Amino acid sequence: MAGSGSTEAVQSTALEYAPYILLLPMLAFPVILLLGKLFNGNKMWKDGLKEGGLIALPVMGASLLISLWLITDFVGGNGHGDTTGWTWFTSGLWISGQTTVTEISLGFGIYVDHVTVMLLFVASFLCLLINTFAIGYMNTDPINDNRNHRFYAEFVLFCSGMLGMVLADSFLWLFIFWELMGLCSYLLIGFYYERPSAAYAAKKAFLTTRVGDVFLMVGLAMLWTLFHPYAGAGQGALDYSVVFYEGNIEKVAASSAGTLGWALGLMFIGAVGKSAQFPLHVWLPDAMEGPTPVSALIHAATMVNAGLYLVARMFPFFGAEALHGELADLAFIIAAVGGTTAVMAAAIAFVQHDLKKVLAYSTMSQLAYIFTGLGAALYLANTLHWHEYLADGTKNPDYYVNHGIVVVAFGAALFHLFNHAMAKGMLFMASGAVIHEVHHAHHHLHPHDDHHDEDPEELLVLANYLADTGQSVFGFFNSIDLDQSGDVDTYEFQKALKEADIADLPPWEMQRLMAALDMDGNGRIDVPELELTLGRIHLASLADDDDHHDHHDEFDAQSMENMGGLASKMPLTATAMLVGSLSIMGFPLIGGFWSKEGIIANTWRVALDDPRFFYPAMCVLLGAAMTGFYMSRMWLKTFAGSPKTDVAAHVHPTNTWIKTPLFILTFMSLGAIVLASMGFTHWAPDEYYKPFFDGKKSLFEGFVYEMDHAFANPDLFFFVLTYLAILLGAIVGPGLALSLYGGKLDEGEETMPWFGPVIALNQMVKGRYHWDNTSFAQSGFATALENRLYIDHYYDMAMLKIVAAFSFKAAVADSKVIDGTVKTIERTSQQLSTKVRSLTTGSARDYILMAALGTLVLFGLIWGVVA
Amino acid sequence: MTTDWISIPLVALPLVSSIAILAFVAYASPAARDRMGPSVRMATLIFSLLMLVLTTAMFLGSNFIEGTKDWASLSFGSFNYDFRYVWIESLGIHWSVGMDALSFPMVWLTTFLLPVTIVATWNEKNAAIYFPLVLMMGGALIGVFVALDLFMFYVFWELTLIPMFFLILKWGGYDRKYASQKFFIYTFAASVIMLLGLVTVYFLQPENLSYAGAWTGRTFDIPTLTAHAQSANAGGAWFLGESLQKILFVMLMIGFLVKLPSVPFHTWLPDAHVQAPTGGSMLLAGVMLKMGAYGMFRLPLAFFPHAAEHFQFWLMAFGMVSLVWGAVVCLGQTNLKKMVAYSSVSHMGVILIGIATMQPLGWAAALFMMFAHGIISPMLFAVCGAFKHHYHSMEIGSMRGMAKHSPWLATSMMFGWMASLGLPLLAGFVAELMMFLALWHFLSAEGWSVLWMVGPALVLALTAAYYLWSMQRTIFEGGDETQPPESLNGQPVPDIGDAEKVAMLILAAFTILFGIMPWIALDMMNGWTVAFFETLLVPILGGA
Repeated sequence: MAGSGSTEAVQSTALEYAPYILLLPMLAFPVILLLGKLFNGNKMWKDGLKEGGLIALPVMGASLLISLWLITDFVGGNGHGDTTGWTWFTSGLWISGQTTVTEISLGFGIYVDHVTVMLLFVASFLCLLINTFAIGYMNTDPINDNRNHRFYAEFVLFCSGMLGMVLADSFLWLFIFWELMGLCSYLLIGFYYERPSAAYAAKKAFLTTRVGDVFLMVGLAMLWTLFHPYAGAGQGALDYSVVFYEGNIEKVAASSAGTLGWALGLMFIGAVGKSAQFPLHVWLPDAMEGPTPVSALIHAATMVNAGLYLVARMFPFFGAEALHGELADLAFIIAAVGGTTAVMAAAIAFVQHDLKKVLAYSTMSQLAYIFTGLGAALYLANTLHWHEYLADGTKNPDYYVNHGIVVVAFGAALFHLFNHAMAKGMLFMASGAVIHEVHHAHHHLHPHDDHHDEDPEELLVLANYLADTGQSVFGFFNSIDLDQSGDVDTYEFQKALKEADIADLPPWEMQRLMAALDMDGNGRIDVPELELTLGRIHLASLADDDDHHDHHDEFDAQSMENMGGLASKMPLTATAMLVGSLSIMGFPLIGGFWSKEGIIANTWRVALDDPRFFYPAMCVLLGAAMTGFYMSRMWLKTFAGSPKTDVAAHVHPTNTWIKTPLFILTFMSLGAIVLASMGFTHWAPDEYYKPFFDGKKSLFEGFVYEMDHAFANPDLFFFVLTYLAILLGAIVGPGLALSLYGGKLDEGEETMPWFGPVIALNQMVKGRYHWDNTSFAQSGFATALENRLYIDHYYDMAMLKIVAAFSFKAAVADSKVIDGTVKTIERTSQQLSTKVRSLTTGSARDYILMAALGTLVLFGLIWGVVA
Repeated sequence: MTTDWISIPLVALPLVSSIAILAFVAYASPAARDRMGPSVRMATLIFSLLMLVLTTAMFLGSNFIEGTKDWASLSFGSFNYDFRYVWIESLGIHWSVGMDALSFPMVWLTTFLLPVTIVATWNEKNAAIYFPLVLMMGGALIGVFVALDLFMFYVFWELTLIPMFFLILKWGGYDRKYASQKFFIYTFAASVIMLLGLVTVYFLQPENLSYAGAWTGRTFDIPTLTAHAQSANAGGAWFLGESLQKILFVMLMIGFLVKLPSVPFHTWLPDAHVQAPTGGSMLLAGVMLKMGAYGMFRLPLAFFPHAAEHFQFWLMAFGMVSLVWGAVVCLGQTNLKKMVAYSSVSHMGVILIGIATMQPLGWAAALFMMFAHGIISPMLFAVCGAFKHHYHSMEIGSMRGMAKHSPWLATSMMFGWMASLGLPLLAGFVAELMMFLALWHFLSAEGWSVLWMVGPALVLALTAAYYLWSMQRTIFEGGDETQPPESLNGQPVPDIGDAEKVAMLILAAFTILFGIMPWIALDMMNGWTVAFFETLLVPILGGA
C-alpha cells in the first residue's frame, strides 16, 4: 500500500477477529429488541433473562475478551495494525485538464495503534461493568418494568458505536459511528419519553452536538479534498493510512498548510460539541435526565471521550516535521477552550445540589483538563524537534530530550482520560446506587407518595366535597347508585360528578377516574373501593397541607439535601465514592494524581515557552483547588454528618449486581500506581517510543521512577509546581469543604474503619474553622452559577427569538409572497380571460363591427408593407 | 435485442390492466363496486409484484431474461433490453424503450414502491377505482423512464398527471379541488414550455439522422439526438448555436425545475401533498419528483453541456436556495405533512447542487439522492398518513406521547425522520456525504467562495432541528396528562394496522440496506456518470 504508516504494520490474528468486537453488540441490538417485543411481560424473559440484560452481558463480555486479545498484540508501542479494508463505494472526480475521470473510493476497515488500545480498553471494559450495574439498577425499579428491553437494545447499539468509532480505520467511519452514538444518546436520554424534561434534554443533546458535527463534517470534506490526490488506488482519502502518512502530510503542507489548519480546527469544534466543552457544553447537565447507567456510560465514561479521541487522533498532523510550528495556534485554542471549561464547570459544580449534576459538571471540568493536556502535548509536538532526524535528514541532537517531553505530555493527557473514565464511571454508578437506595427507602417509608400524583384531581375535589358537606362515603354511594345494584358504573359515576358540580367529564376522561378507583378491575366501583381510595386521597391532601408542601412537590431522591450520613448505611458505596473523588481531585498516590500532575506540569512547561499558555496553565492550577472543593463537598454532604431527612436514615446497602462493578473499579483507581509504574504515563502518541513494556525497566524500577518524578523532581520549577498543585488540590480545596460541610456521624452509627480518620478530620476542621458562607450563597455570582451563568438561557432565547421567529416569518413569506405571486398570476389570467370572454357578446352587430375593424387594420397593415 | 422485456410487462401491463379494470368498474353499480374492491386490490398487488420480480431479476440477472446484464459498465449511449417499434413513420416517431443505469434504478424504485404503496394504503376507500389508478400511475412513471423517444417521453410525462390528478381530486383532503387543479395546471404549464423547447430541437436538427421521419426528415430518437449533439458540440462549437442553445436549455429546465421542484417554483408541492391521499403522496414524493431530475440528466445536460456550464452559477444558486429555504420553511411549519413536503423541496436542492458541481461525484450524489429519497420519503408520507388516519389531525403537538399510544407508529416516525435528516448507515447519509465532498472539492478546485458551504452546513443543523422539534411534540412528552385529541371523541387510540406495519418494515429494511451497502445501487450510478463524463462531457468541456 502506498500510504502505509511510517513503520511496518503489525500482523496479528486478533486483527481478523476485531470486527466482531463491534459486530456482536450491533447484532445483539435487533435480537434484544425483537425478543423484548415478543416476550414482554413473560416471566422467563423478565426474571430469567432480565429483559435482555443477560443477553447483553455475555455479548459485552465477548467483546471485552476479543478486545483484550487484540490489545495484548499491540500494547507497548509495537506499531500499528491496519486491515486491508473493504470498499464502501467508488465514484469519480474530473480533474480539470484530464481526459479521464479519476477514480476515488471510500472504504472501511480496522486500525489499531496505541491510542486505539487505550480507548478500546476503556470502552469495552466499562461497557461490561455498566451492563452489570444496569441489571441491578434498571431491573429493580418498577418504573422500568416491561421497557428494559429497549434500554438494553439501545445500550448495546451504543456500545457498538463507541467500539466502532475507536476501531475505525478512517475519519469517515469515525464520524459514522460518532453519529450512531449521538442517536443512541438521544434515545437513552429520552428513555423516559413521557417526561417533558427528558424529551427536552434529548433534543437539546442531539441538536447541540449536531452543531459541532456540522463543523466536523465540513472539516472532513476539507481534509478529504486536501488528501485525495495522494490516496492510492482503493484507498479512501480519509483513511488513517493516507492522512497519517508523512509523505502525504509533507505534500499537503507544502501547498496548503493553512487550509489543513482550518480543517483540523473545524474538526475540533465537533470534538467540543461531543465532549461538552464551552461553548457547546449546555447539553451534558441536562443529559442526566436519562437513567443513571446511561449517565455513567455515555456522559462520563465513553461517549464524551469521543471528542478527546478525535483530538488525540489528530496528533500525527501536529507531530509532523513538515508542519513544524504551523499548528501552534490551534494547539493553543484547544488548551484555552479546555482551561475555560475546566474553571467554568468547576465553579458551577460549587452550587449544585443534585448529586448527578455535580458529577456532570465534574465530567465537563475533567474532560477540559484532558483537552488542556492534549493542547499542551500537541503544542509541544508541533514546536519541538522531536523526531530522530530533522527535516534536512541530519540527526536531531535533541532527539532524546524532546521526544521524551512529547511522549510524557501526550501520555499524561491520555492517562488522565483513562483514570477519569474509571473514576467517573464508578462515581456515577455509586451515585446511582445511592439514588436507587434513597428512592427505595423513600418508597418504603412513604408508599403513597408515588401514587399521589397519579390520583386524578377530580377525586381529590370529590373527597374534599364529601368532607365539606359532611356526607359519609356510604351515603354518597347510595345516592349515586341509581339502579341500587350495589356497585356504580361509569355512567352513574359521571352523572353523580356532574350533579355535584365537581366535573363534567367526557367518557374517555371517566375511564381515567374509574381506573383509579376500580381496584379489582371489574369495571365497576363498590363501597370499599370508593371508601379506601377517597379516604387515602383525603388524608394525603391533609398531610400535604400540614407540611406546607406544594401539591406537586415530589421528593427528590437525587438531591444531596435529602442525604447525609450515608457512610454507615452504604459503606462499600461510600468507599467507592471516596476513592473516585480522591482520584478526580488528584489526591497524591491515587488514580488521577499521576495524570493530573502531568497535565499541570506540561501546561506550565508550554507557558514558559509561549506566554499565551499562562491562561490555560493558571486555569488548570485554579481548577485543581476547585475540584478539591466540589468533590469533597459532594462526598461530605452525601456520606458524612447526620441524615438530613428521615429517608436518609433508612437507607440500606445495595444489591450485588450494583456492588460488583463498584468493587472492581475501586481497585482500578487505587491501582493506578501500578499502571503508572508500567509506563502508562508515557503513553506513546507514535510508534517510535517504547515505554517500559519492552523489559528495559522492571515494575519496581518504574515505580521508583514515577515516585521520583512526582515527588522529587530535579527541576526546581516543577518541584515547586508539584507541591503547589498538591497543596491546592489536596489541602486547600478539600479543607474548605471540610470546614463547611459534613460532620460527625450520628451516635451509634458504625462504619468501615477507613472512614474514621476522614470523619474525625472533618469534625475537627469544621469545629475549628467553621465560617459562614451565606453571604456568598446569596450573592449575585452564586445566583448566576445556579443559573449556569445564563448561557443556556441565552441559547434558548436565540433559538426562540431568532431561529424560530425567522422560520415562522419565512413560512408566512413562502405562502404569501412566493405562492402569492403564483396566485396573482392565476387571478390576473382569469380576469383577462373573463375580459376576453366579455367580447363574445353573442350579438351579431358586435361581431360585424369587430370584423369590420379587423379588416380595416389588416388593410392598413398590408398597405403599409406594400407602400 | 431479441425480446421486448419492457413494453409489455412494465408499461402496457399496468396501463392496460388498470384501464380495463376502470372501464369494467365504471359500468358497475356502487354496491357491486364495493364488492369488487378486495379482488381489484389483490389483482393490482399481484400485477405490481410481478413487475417487481421482473425488475429485480433484471438487476440480479436471470437466464429467463437474457442472462446477467451489466449495468455498471454499460457504455454511454447503449441501453439494456432496448426495443423499438415504428409508431408514426411519417414524423419519425417510434415506440422505443430501453434502460441504462440512469433509468434502471428509477424503474426498479417505481416497481418497488407500487406494491409497498398498495399495502400501505390497504384500506383506502373506493378500492375498485383507487388501486387501478395507483397501478396506472406506476405504468405512466415507468413509461417516462424507459422512453428513448422524445415524443413518447412527452406523452408519458403528461400521462402521469392524469392518475395523480384524480387521486388528489377524489381521495384528497378538504381543499382537494384547488390543490389538484393547481398541481395539474402548474406542472402542465411548465411542461408546455418544455414541449416548445423539444419541438424546436426537433425542427432545427439537421435532416436525415437515424430513424428520421419519412415526411419531416427529422428524428425524435433520444440516443440519436444525443450522439448528434455530442458531435455538434465538439471543438468549442455550440449545438444549434450559442444563444439558441442557452434559450433551449432554459426552456427545458423550466419544465424540469417545476417538476423537481425548485424554489421559487415549488408552491404547488405542499398544497398537492397536504391534500393528496397517502398513496398519492408516496408516489408523488417517491418517484414523480425525480422525473424532473431524470429529465435534466437525459435531455438538457446531454444536449446542451455548453449551456449547462454557462448556467452553472444559476444551477448552484437554485439548488442552494431550495436547500436552505426549504429547510427554513420546514422549521416554521405546524402541519406535519406540510413539513415533510417542504423537506422534499430541501432534499431536491441537494440534487441540483450535485448537478451544479459538474463532477461525477456530485452527479452520483444526485442520482443516489434520487434513489434514497425515493425510499425514505414514501415512509415519511406513510407515517403522516397513518398519523392523520388515527389522530384525525395533522397539527404538530395535537397529540403527544405517541410512543405510549402507538408505539409502532412512533417507531416508524422516528426511523423515517432520522433517515431523512441524514443519519449515517441509512441511505440518505451516503448522498449527503457525497454531495459535501463534491461541493467542497468543486469550490476549492474552481476557486469559488467558501461561503457556498455555509448553506449546506446550516441545513444539516436546521434539518435536525425541525425533525427533532416535531418528534419532541409528537412522540415524546405527554406524561400523566396524556390524552387523545378531542377529535377522537373518546375513542381509544389505535396503533397502525398489520398492512401498514409490513409496508413500514419493508421501507425501513431497504433504507438500512442501501445505507450500509450503498454499492448495490451506487456502482451502476457511478458507472453511468463516469461514462457520461468520459464519453460526452470531457471531450466537449475538457479544455475549459
